Amino acid sequence: MEKSLKKRGYCHVFGDRFSLDEGIMPFKFAIERVTDPKKLIPHLFKSTDPDFPGKVKPGDFVIGGQDFACGKPHVQGFIAMAALNLGVICQSMPYKAMRRAVSVGLPLLTGCNPGADFLQNGDEIEVDFATGEARNLTRGTSTRLPSMSPILRDIVVNGGMNGALAAWLKDHPEQAAVEPVALSDSSGAVPVSFVPARKS
Amino acid sequence: MPGTEASHENMPMTAVQKFLARACGRDRVEIGEVVYPKPELVIIHDGYVETVHGELAALGYARVRDPKRVVFVTDHEVAYTTQRAVERGRNIRKIAKAWEIGRLFDVGRGGHGHIFPMEAGLVRPGMFLFAYDMHCSNFGAIGALAIGVGAEVSSVLATGSLWTQVPETVRVELTGALPSGAHPRDVGFLLCGGFANGRWNVSHDNRIIEFCGSGLEAFSLASRVALCNSLTEIGVANVLFGSPPPGIDSSGAPDFISDLGAPSAGNIVVDLSTMVPQVALPGGPDLAADLASVEGRHIDHAFIGACGSGMYEDFADAARFVKNRRIADGVRMFIGPGTNEVARRLADDGITQMFVEAGAMVLPPGCGPCAGGIIAPLGPGEVSISTAATNHSGRFGSVDGQCYLGSPLTVAASAVAGCMADPRKFMSP
Repeated sequence: MEKSLKKRGYCHVFGDRFSLDEGIMPFKFAIERVTDPKKLIPHLFKSTDPDFPGKVKPGDFVIGGQDFACGKPHVQGFIAMAALNLGVICQSMPYKAMRRAVSVGLPLLTGCNPGADFLQNGDEIEVDFATGEARNLTRGTSTRLPSMSPILRDIVVNGGMNGALAAWLKDHPEQAAVEPVALSDSSGAVPVSFVPARKS
Repeated sequence: MPGTEASHENMPMTAVQKFLARACGRDRVEIGEVVYPKPELVIIHDGYVETVHGELAALGYARVRDPKRVVFVTDHEVAYTTQRAVERGRNIRKIAKAWEIGRLFDVGRGGHGHIFPMEAGLVRPGMFLFAYDMHCSNFGAIGALAIGVGAEVSSVLATGSLWTQVPETVRVELTGALPSGAHPRDVGFLLCGGFANGRWNVSHDNRIIEFCGSGLEAFSLASRVALCNSLTEIGVANVLFGSPPPGIDSSGAPDFISDLGAPSAGNIVVDLSTMVPQVALPGGPDLAADLASVEGRHIDHAFIGACGSGMYEDFADAARFVKNRRIADGVRMFIGPGTNEVARRLADDGITQMFVEAGAMVLPPGCGPCAGGIIAPLGPGEVSISTAATNHSGRFGSVDGQCYLGSPLTVAASAVAGCMADPRKFMSP
């Protein structure tokens, strides 16, 4: 099912090879497995721009260059960005990082090189992720960026992987739990027929 | 929604395009396109079954979409060494029953889930599958495409698929022949280091690495597995080959070879005749170095096995370095045949005996210490050389232990020497 995904906000421009752990969210939150957005948001991009947490507004855009969010694909930075309802526009992103971003519902456009002649830090833009149409409201210009796959858009508008799975279950009630399976260490083994692969 | 109509109907396709197009029920898919391929199998190992069950139960799921395609394998904790492991095994059997899973390969059945499905005919040339564990890329050796999806396997179980972006393909042409004492794992380490260092100025991120060339002709299935396994950790999408698998009848299989002139995101040539033994320094397979740079360094622990070097040939080739020799005092050496069938053949052919007589210990088929050091672990301050899949800190248990990787030949020679040793120096002229 295809849903629209349009956003409007201000641009925060970052460069090439922008590291997740060093530039976006301190590594310590990954080690501590912090997933609460409230704890993560005050640290988002702070190591790069100490003023970022104070000036970012919900709906804003993070503009990356090549290899945006490189390094180990820790999810904490993406959780904070998704919770702030940010969007990402970048030239490229490591595949695993892109998967993590989509899995927490962060809208993104990759393969984009809008260039300084279209947008600069602080510009207000409006982007339709379905078509790639982008308007710079500050400068009164427009351009066409590569669109976001409808498959990924659908996951993002559902809020990420868990949201998409909840939506799937709603559409497929036959897979829903009637009685949950109780797993414990005292319930005894339940035999399962073993089906070995046959050798030719 | 229906797939986008092909805009380049007659353009040559890469192997991965063919696999994914077939799995989407289409004639072709385009590189970079995001698709929902349907797998023929979904493989999950014993270390993750409880977790994914818990995650789906928390979302309200009682049934997986296509249980008959799901395979549970047991390779991470085979010989239960804790009460928790006993409990885990019991829970896995319960989950398999509740979910009506197609196949459960329980403890002592099959062996390593990245190897036995090939020898058992469960994974076949031309097949597309998803798996929890990234080292399912081994199946590239047999001409199958298996995508390791990690925690996202919950989506595969729930919905029967998972979004996948059709990757680009980088070709690696092998020329010449490996000199004696060099091994396909050495080629794998060299490539890991080269890609990570930008030696060829070719990105490997989510690229299919496709081997081809005259040098590939001499590679056995086990050699192909070694290439697949070594490269997986650095973030490639998968490893495939430009020719059918050796020793496997793939005549009736669907097309799994790239077309002539299919798009390529890079071409690399490796002259096998120049290969010298390599190691991966502690930290990751990308930290490749010539063995000569660490030769003579003391070792406490040696291990041949795990998914990259657990096939018959790996042990048979290594055995000649321990035959009629003794493992050095103070070194504990383990061999872990990849599968029950490999273990049987090694025993039948007297190869196990060569290792045992030298003072090595035999582990049950499975991951061995490579699964976090559950069995045969490394202690703080100790040094290991092994054929494990990877060597990040703590991989063998202690975060203060140092794990080096080498070929089965290098590991065997080192175990006998008591230090990192060049296998070429242990060979008869």
